[in-house]
Amino acid sequence: MTAVQSRLMSWEGLLLALLVVIVAINIGYSPYYLGVENIVNLFQLSIEKIIVALVMTLIIISGEIDLSVASIMGLAACVMAWLFQLGLPMPLCLLAAILIGAFCGAFNGFWVAYVGLPSLAVTLAGLIGFRGVARIFLEDRAIGGYPAWFNSLGQQPIFGPLTFSIIVFILLFAVIGIALHGSALGRYIYVMGNGIEAARYSGVNVKRVKLMLFTASGVVAAIAGLLYAARLGSVRGDTAFGFELDIITIVLLGGVSIFGGSGSLLGVGLSIFLILNLRNGMGLANITGNTQTSVIGALLILSVLVPNIVQSTLKRLKGRET
Amino acid sequence: MKKFLTTTAALALVSVMAHAAYAADAKATPGKSIDMVLLPKFLGIAVFDQAHTGAAEAQKELKNPKEVKFLGPTPENSVAGQIEIVTNATTQNVGAIMISNNAGDQIAPAAKAAHDKGIKIVTWDSPIPTAEGEDVFVAQVDFNKTGQVMADMALNILPDGGEFAILSASPDAANQNAWIKAFEQVLKDPKYAKLKQVDLVYGNDQSEQSYNQALALVDKHPNLKLIMAPTTVGIAAAAKAMQDEKLCDKVKVSGLGLPAEMVSYTMNGCAPQFALWSFVDLGYLTYYTAYMLAAGDLKAEEGAKFTAGRMGDYEITKDPTREKGLRVLMGPFTVYDKSNVEAAAK
Amino acid sequence: MSWLQRHIRPEQVRELSLLLIIILAVIVFGAMIDGYYTSRTFNRIATSVAIVTVIGAGMTLVVLTRNIDLSVGSIVGCTAYFTGVQLAANPNLGALSAIAIAMGLGLLMGAVNGVIVAWGRVPSIIVTLGTLAIYRGILIDYSGAKTVTTDSLPPWLVDLPQMPLMTIGGLEIRAIVVLALIVVIVFQLLLSFFNFGRGFYAIGSNPDAAELVGLPKQRIIFTAFALSGALSGLAGFMFLARFGNITVEAGRGLELQVVAAVVVGGVNIFGGSGTLIGAMLGAVMIGTLEQSLFRLQINEFWRDAILGLLILLAVASDAVLLNRLRALWARADMRPVARPTSAVGSEGEVAP
Repeated sequence: MTAVQSRLMSWEGLLLALLVVIVAINIGYSPYYLGVENIVNLFQLSIEKIIVALVMTLIIISGEIDLSVASIMGLAACVMAWLFQLGLPMPLCLLAAILIGAFCGAFNGFWVAYVGLPSLAVTLAGLIGFRGVARIFLEDRAIGGYPAWFNSLGQQPIFGPLTFSIIVFILLFAVIGIALHGSALGRYIYVMGNGIEAARYSGVNVKRVKLMLFTASGVVAAIAGLLYAARLGSVRGDTAFGFELDIITIVLLGGVSIFGGSGSLLGVGLSIFLILNLRNGMGLANITGNTQTSVIGALLILSVLVPNIVQSTLKRLKGRET
Repeated sequence: MKKFLTTTAALALVSVMAHAAYAADAKATPGKSIDMVLLPKFLGIAVFDQAHTGAAEAQKELKNPKEVKFLGPTPENSVAGQIEIVTNATTQNVGAIMISNNAGDQIAPAAKAAHDKGIKIVTWDSPIPTAEGEDVFVAQVDFNKTGQVMADMALNILPDGGEFAILSASPDAANQNAWIKAFEQVLKDPKYAKLKQVDLVYGNDQSEQSYNQALALVDKHPNLKLIMAPTTVGIAAAAKAMQDEKLCDKVKVSGLGLPAEMVSYTMNGCAPQFALWSFVDLGYLTYYTAYMLAAGDLKAEEGAKFTAGRMGDYEITKDPTREKGLRVLMGPFTVYDKSNVEAAAK
Repeated sequence: MSWLQRHIRPEQVRELSLLLIIILAVIVFGAMIDGYYTSRTFNRIATSVAIVTVIGAGMTLVVLTRNIDLSVGSIVGCTAYFTGVQLAANPNLGALSAIAIAMGLGLLMGAVNGVIVAWGRVPSIIVTLGTLAIYRGILIDYSGAKTVTTDSLPPWLVDLPQMPLMTIGGLEIRAIVVLALIVVIVFQLLLSFFNFGRGFYAIGSNPDAAELVGLPKQRIIFTAFALSGALSGLAGFMFLARFGNITVEAGRGLELQVVAAVVVGGVNIFGGSGTLIGAMLGAVMIGTLEQSLFRLQINEFWRDAILGLLILLAVASDAVLLNRLRALWARADMRPVARPTSAVGSEGEVAP
């Protein structure tokens, strides 16, 4: 086992241990926690964010970042709402919204891959710009009244207790897991994250892979935005505003390096469980608002800090022995 | 101005008399143990804490052994956070949820799920537009009246008329949108013909953006004489901007504001008049309404009358400002100017 | 030209390309907006970017060391609020003590970030994402939902933002703008002409090598965060003076504006290159676009879409201009024997 592997293993082990502790506390604290309704809600309440977190994992491992995802979510939902109000059939509205998402993603990807601009700058402009375009469509209106089948996609269980959104998440998790850990594409992504130069030498078409990744990010964000619209049954200009920070937090807690090149989908999956259970537990204990975000912030720092301190203390002790 | 104040006083009197005319049937049964959640738009803002104070006062009066749970999201996560809190409260099967809705119709599915479980949903400050999942809305004032008050203040400040612009919160703020619509409606009356609206901009309830937007309004419209801001953040930022740029003689500020935040601008003439209602009373009345609904003392139906402690008698009516939905109307406005702002600021 | 090329590297004139783009933008807006070339326009833009510029200076120091500080908005909120409360309680507190309180508290909060990043070896984005939430949480608890109100503040503070320091041919230069300029110039000089300052660049461009040659890596990173906190504290003081009414929301979202200014200003987000002047120009560029779009008679709902596009165009044209310059220099280098200095110069700027 290489050093990197063992570090990754221990990271995921740590997340798992934390998860067990949190679940145990939740079970002990709240009689409502283990109810099927609550477990489904626990996922449902953040389902769109965790769907986007999966594709964000790929982007960050490849050494880039996409800050525009929440704005694309909002834009896709607004385009759908606008077309629906014009009287277009719903499936067409959905298709158009997903295409818009693909276009936004490809637009980001073009500037990053083919012009060579930093993705932080490009997607920051996208964060402002795409949200701005969403505003143009809906201005100060809120649009609802979608067909029942659409709303039920986000609200009704269709398979056992699972909703359509949760099934999308599970499928996407599987697809991205295979792509990242079991395919050539996944290897390319890691190589790219470890250094563009290295990737070029190993024959990866860096530009194409980047364009593809950003386009995928746009499409997934658009789908997530539509699912969000379905769950809430109404769309307005600020739909999904500010989600990017939560999404990135999930990915980073999953052990993905912000500089790219390392991290695993398993880690991100555990991080999702961890944050969702923590939020739910605090919600049931009536801890909300800033206290909740502070606890998650502290967890984020401590989960890296404490192992580091333990590690260096152990090293010092070992040094004394020899 | 005096005349205007007397009109408001008269209106208040009329509404008090109107209340007195009804025989109030429903009285609260104190001492029941009911879990109740008070949900503000977000935490850390003065007006919502005032509502909490009012609700806590009502809770003590009604001897509910369960303290009111004041749970709110963070500002940057307001919509998703409100939905989460409603959903978790539903899981815990509380007796009533009192929502100052910031999510528009987006909160309807969560509210409906709670309502279907038998939880009473009372909105206050800002209702659910379609009224879906909502038992009743406790309205601080009649939303159409807000337009009237804004128009009257504008005419008081600009008796000779002139250009004015509106500085609102965000394009998604349902309250502000409703008030502005009512305001524009009132302005069609020939009485206000000399007032000319030239712009509508948004400061997103952030001091910085509101401040910059206020200055930009002055730059864009050289003949601007008044900025009307129906939001406590916007009005304070606009007043500071006018004061900083020494524009107070030329451009006045008015709208809805907190006395404590506005007192210096009212005294130095930057914001000669503004209005608001009591959030403490709003919290108190909301708690009474929700408690009586959850305790079974009151039914959420048109024509139901009840007594809300120190605030007197109220009636549930159809909400004329929405297509559907029921309403309890609190009212009235207090209009602040040099004569009363200092006392209210303390 | 050849003399120029021998003495100046493209990275040193990269601010020029930004300046060119800003001038171009001003000319275009000037043609579109009546009465654009007035002292009023200058004042609007200058005062509105002053706060972002000061925070941007601190952020640049942090970014140079290959880190990032996302907690600045929360630090601004905390320091503005806390200083406001102190001033309300002790109206006799002077300007200097108020600034000292704000910067001291900021320094403390930045130092916490710095210790955890430098000695705790926790990635800065994780630390400051955490403290972004934690500092804001502390503020909300501390405030008890009370607002610091303008009338509780001493008059000198409320009047500070519009106080002119000097007047140059009808142009009022305000104290708050001068303060921001001084911060940028002082720290830029420290960075460029002191060994300790050059260490910031060394650590960012190659942390391992920098440590090998004996640079105090941890101390430098700690210093960067501490300074970023202190400057955010100063910005908090400016925020308090400018807006008067301070709620717990003060400064929310500033981190994104500052990161945008720094990135547009050509500071490499992966460390090692960029200047404070550049970051300031980035802030000025975004401020100019924003303020000028306010003035244009365009639909309120179109503004952000246009702003996003313009920022992208600015970043893209800056990159193109810079590549041109680099190509020019490279060609000049071909003629004599290639000098190692220029090779290093262009290596450091590869877009991530």
